[in-house]
Amino acid sequence: MAAPARSKRPRSGKSQPRIDAQPVFILHQYAYRETSRLLDIFSRDHGRLTVVARGARRPGSQLRGVLMAFQPLLLSWFGGGEVKTLHAADWQGGLAHPVGSPLLCGFYINELLMRLLPREDPHPHLFAAYYDAVRQLSVLPTDAGVQVEPILRGFELAMLSGLGYGLDFAHEVNGQAVQPARQYAFVGGQGFFAAAPGQGRFDGEVLLELAAGNVTGERTLAQAKLLMRQALGSVLGEQPLHTRQLLLDLQRL
Amino acid sequence: MSTPSSLQNLIDALRVLPGVGPKSASRMAYHLLQRDQPGANDLAHALMHALGTLRHCRDCNTFTEAEVCEICADERRTREQLCVVEMPTDLLMVEQTLAYHGLYFVLMGRLSPLDGIGTQDIAFARLLERASDGVVQEVILSTNFTVEGEATAHYLAEMLRARGLQVSRIARGLPVGGELEHVDPGTLAQALVERRKL
Repeated sequence: MAAPARSKRPRSGKSQPRIDAQPVFILHQYAYRETSRLLDIFSRDHGRLTVVARGARRPGSQLRGVLMAFQPLLLSWFGGGEVKTLHAADWQGGLAHPVGSPLLCGFYINELLMRLLPREDPHPHLFAAYYDAVRQLSVLPTDAGVQVEPILRGFELAMLSGLGYGLDFAHEVNGQAVQPARQYAFVGGQGFFAAAPGQGRFDGEVLLELAAGNVTGERTLAQAKLLMRQALGSVLGEQPLHTRQLLLDLQRL
Repeated sequence: MSTPSSLQNLIDALRVLPGVGPKSASRMAYHLLQRDQPGANDLAHALMHALGTLRHCRDCNTFTEAEVCEICADERRTREQLCVVEMPTDLLMVEQTLAYHGLYFVLMGRLSPLDGIGTQDIAFARLLERASDGVVQEVILSTNFTVEGEATAHYLAEMLRARGLQVSRIARGLPVGGELEHVDPGTLAQALVERRKL
């Protein structure tokens, strides 16, 4: 069902490109003016964009129930500037709203994208990975514990390689192939170095598992978590992730 | 010609309001000074008065002029139930239903990690203290059904349950009098997911 945004018809011409029924997830939204909302969206073919949804905060607005994060949407918008204008929003359906700790994990991957994904830069593969992660989070129960770990690690890996920060798990910095029986140390921004036995934090066997895209098994997950924290840390810089702090606060309860 | 400093101060001061940029702020300033000086005077007095007399209720955290607000001071209300809402406007809405006779706690915000609002920025510690007074039996979480409201409810549920309190969440689904034919599909889908046994 289409919920029309109250907006003027777009003017014709190249300065007002118009996008119809684009698959989109809303990453975050802000109140804007009296009755509107600004949406920070991740679209499949146009990357991350800012779209204004006029009248979305009016009482009884049809858009209110549609413009939700973690829901696959089809949005239509127009405008050539930095902020586009929403024209129509359709709910695609198929996913329940994530609840409880999976919801907080959803916030975490949204925060990663908001920090790292540049605007107007299409990443259809990353979009697919995001869709997949949200789909898996949406079926987990409120009190899901370790089940979220493979989902998060899978998304982090997809995001790092999608944005050009991908790691070569199968080789050391000097080009030598990683040996399953050896141990390795990781330096953010550079890569893996062979370490003396007992000195490295990552097993060669685990790195080869990750190189094969295999993020299962207790040891792999534990080491991948540590590795991702280091790799993301060097990409994210000084400012900490707010969602990570929230998850830590929650664990402390 | 440069703007006199008192006028510039006023414009800068008006910009603290949410959604007010430099253009709106100067329009407001010129309106107050040129067209409506008595109104400007009232505004200044009302602001000073509110700042001087309003404070947070000792029990429920909403704005009040006394130490304890009218609702918390009302002896006839059930003291075993505590309804947690995000904002005072939500409290007024629940009051309008006349369906609830317990007490409230107003968070004055919600968890929003993507805006940098974490557990330290909301009055969670005060709520925990309030709910563990030994009298409260049930905490009813009435935060919004937005993703931020849901995250807040989840955090509160974990926090309060760890203290052995009974926690419930207001229901979501079809509106009263709602017809399936006309309801939005997202709401209907969620109503199916959260269906209850009869």
